[in-house]
Amino acid sequence: MRKFLQTISLLLFTGFFVFATYKLPNWLPADIYLRLDPLLGLNAVFAAREIIGRALWALITLGATFVIGRFFCAYVCPMGVSIDFLDFLFLRKKKRLGLKAEASFRKTKLFLLIIFVSAAVTGLSLAFLMDPMSLLTRFYTFFIYPLAITLINLALDLLRPLFQALGWITLSHLHYPQPVYYMSAITLLIFGGIIALNLLVPRFWCRYLCPLGALLSLISPLGLFKRRVNEDCNECLKCQNSCPMGAVAENPRETRLPECIQCRTCAKVCPQEAISFPASLSLGGEYSKVDFSRRGFLYSLAGGLGVGFLATQTPFTLQQSKHQLIRPPGAIPETEFLRTCIRCGECMKSCLTNTLQPCLWESGFSGLWTPKMDLRLAPCDQNCNVCGKVCPTQAIRSLTLEEKTHAKAGTAVLRKEMCLVWAENKICLICDEICPYNAIVFRPVEGYRRPVVIPSKCNGCGFCEQRCPVRGEAAIVVVPNGEIRLKEGSYIKEAKKLQLEFKPDPGDDKFILEESGFKVEERKKGEKNIPKGEKPQPKKPKGFL
Amino acid sequence: MVGYKQGMTRRQFLKATAAGVVVCEIAGSPHISRAGEEYDLAVISGEPVAATKKALEAIGGISRFVKQGQRVVLKPNMSFSNTPDRGSTTHPLVVITVAQACIEAGAQQVLVLDHTLQRAELCLERNGIKEACKDMNRVHVLALQEKKFFLEIKIPQGKVLERVEVMKEILDGSVLINLPVAKSHSATGVSLGIKGLMGLIWDRESFHTQYNINQALADLATVIKPRLTILDATRALASGGPGGPGEIKKPNLIIAGIDPVAVDSYGVSIVPWYGQNFKGRQVEHLLAAHQRGVGKIDTDQLRIFKEKA
Repeated sequence: MRKFLQTISLLLFTGFFVFATYKLPNWLPADIYLRLDPLLGLNAVFAAREIIGRALWALITLGATFVIGRFFCAYVCPMGVSIDFLDFLFLRKKKRLGLKAEASFRKTKLFLLIIFVSAAVTGLSLAFLMDPMSLLTRFYTFFIYPLAITLINLALDLLRPLFQALGWITLSHLHYPQPVYYMSAITLLIFGGIIALNLLVPRFWCRYLCPLGALLSLISPLGLFKRRVNEDCNECLKCQNSCPMGAVAENPRETRLPECIQCRTCAKVCPQEAISFPASLSLGGEYSKVDFSRRGFLYSLAGGLGVGFLATQTPFTLQQSKHQLIRPPGAIPETEFLRTCIRCGECMKSCLTNTLQPCLWESGFSGLWTPKMDLRLAPCDQNCNVCGKVCPTQAIRSLTLEEKTHAKAGTAVLRKEMCLVWAENKICLICDEICPYNAIVFRPVEGYRRPVVIPSKCNGCGFCEQRCPVRGEAAIVVVPNGEIRLKEGSYIKEAKKLQLEFKPDPGDDKFILEESGFKVEERKKGEKNIPKGEKPQPKKPKGFL
Repeated sequence: MVGYKQGMTRRQFLKATAAGVVVCEIAGSPHISRAGEEYDLAVISGEPVAATKKALEAIGGISRFVKQGQRVVLKPNMSFSNTPDRGSTTHPLVVITVAQACIEAGAQQVLVLDHTLQRAELCLERNGIKEACKDMNRVHVLALQEKKFFLEIKIPQGKVLERVEVMKEILDGSVLINLPVAKSHSATGVSLGIKGLMGLIWDRESFHTQYNINQALADLATVIKPRLTILDATRALASGGPGGPGEIKKPNLIIAGIDPVAVDSYGVSIVPWYGQNFKGRQVEHLLAAHQRGVGKIDTDQLRIFKEKA
């Protein structure tokens, strides 16, 4: 029963993850697992200092824990399922090393919880480091998803001759674009580490480290269902040895209620069938108390505040208003963005073009794993608005396509010293050709038609930067200047106020009227006495003779 | 069409292409016979479906080109994730009308192919062609975006381009029908049938960065020879091409012919591009293709069948 529910939960988690693509229907909350996570909700609400609508979903989890107990860890948590499953697969027969002073380690997760919450109070979003939902979504995004696509494509390639022989046209031409991410390796190491810790004791992560488990353990003793041992117990200690959470006390009749996740393994292994989980309102005596010390509390509180101080009092913070990064369109103002983003990686998974990439140190510790647009890698497509749709804390706002178009992400800047046309008088017009908004026009300068950016028409989508044929860094780059970051209200109105227009229109394409490069060279040779700066008359568009 | 003699095995064919031997198959004469008279082009005005049907009829029926059991490759322009009203992609109604005719003529399969410039899934979704073909049996709309679907061939007559990787689907004896849309192009002046052939090759970028695109296109036209070109000029993107947005004119024309240069050359004359009138000879890649012997360029020497649908 438990395994069944766990499998369902992992499948659901995976299913929602898979659905987080640009085709996501509006009614489908692909980020539901992240919304249900009370630690992420608490973290975002404290750090951002306001109520976040989607975070209220976490009240469901809290409410259910109040009623039932800490069932979440045993039946729902996809991280728990992954740990159980991989443990069964790889470590089942290994001899566990065990852990001395087990009880004192158990407090660690509570200290971590306090560190994360107090860091959030200082305005530093930190829970993402160890929150299981955020961690697992990241692992899925940066590792599982690219790996799955590689394997699927490999399988398709292997089966292709068969598909062709069978005349299955679509399958024989099927290929999925390979997503790529920075920081895949780090993410894999962290996840691998979590699994490897099971070598010490089963569910090491859940017992000692998981801050979400710690949060739930604070209220789970209030839950209705509790382990009860009747007088048939002969103290064989089988339950104690088999409990994955170490929740059976020294006296096997007693239960450490905060630790018990109601997996009922003990009831299953008990030879006397002495263990049941009836509903009861009473608390379970001394073991129902949260295992905690005042000193530990104060230390971790100080630790959290200290980390918050250290991570926010840096030049990065002072420069947030003039940050370097191109954030996805709809990202709320930088300071609030850093506080609200829980680094789950869902936006990067769903990103149609793969332009959204995780930050490493570009905006300091407080910006770790936040999404940035890598426009040299890929542009932001004007027909896609999925990153906002899947953001569980709305650090990227969910916008209609029309609104998203007006959420200017930055402005393209031409670097004349690198541009083939400006620096080398070559004929190149790729940026102009690809720009969806006609924000690049050709103007006659010194005898040549040269590209110029019209900033009021550029919404920072980055098609120009991605396609620029110059090797290395592009000669046209999108910079954050001119970006529109709104916490609330309409981007369309704001753009109108700023007299920006991103409506694709014919523009002044007449300036493309230009003879071919060779002709210009020849004429220049012949007419050297043309005064500098005089505009040559446009004669014919390129490609015409 | 890069074709090969019937009965050749794939291996023989690969050897032949590797040796630079490209055998072209042309269905009968490059003319259209109608009521005892021979024509080079059919120019039909009207709504997309009616005009396309009429044009197919005028060229003697699609069964002249598509035989029972053959595989057909249709090459519309699906390169941009724009809706049809932007004028940057072939009208879906033109595509399905031709596809339907091919099926009725007994085609075993109709593959609607392009190597798109923007994200394939968005292109196919937004230009309406996939949706329009969705209920048609044996018609498959695909964007081929991976190198593994392409094969290198030699270009014996190539002046700037010696070899090029083209879609395997057009190499195995299927019937290639080009369904370009009429639009302006910032590097080649106009983008009609011959420019549309670029959607059948793998390395599009080198045409822009490495070669003189106009000469490279003419080279390409010497090896990829569509059996039939049906130019969708129901709308013409007269400026702002190839992606638009730009000025959209409504010539309401379907221009069909066997000679790819003749179709394009006539296509140049139907609307002013970037506000100026041009002739086919003034388009560098068409002139170059003509000079390489691909087809006729002077429209006044063409016999044109004109009718209203």
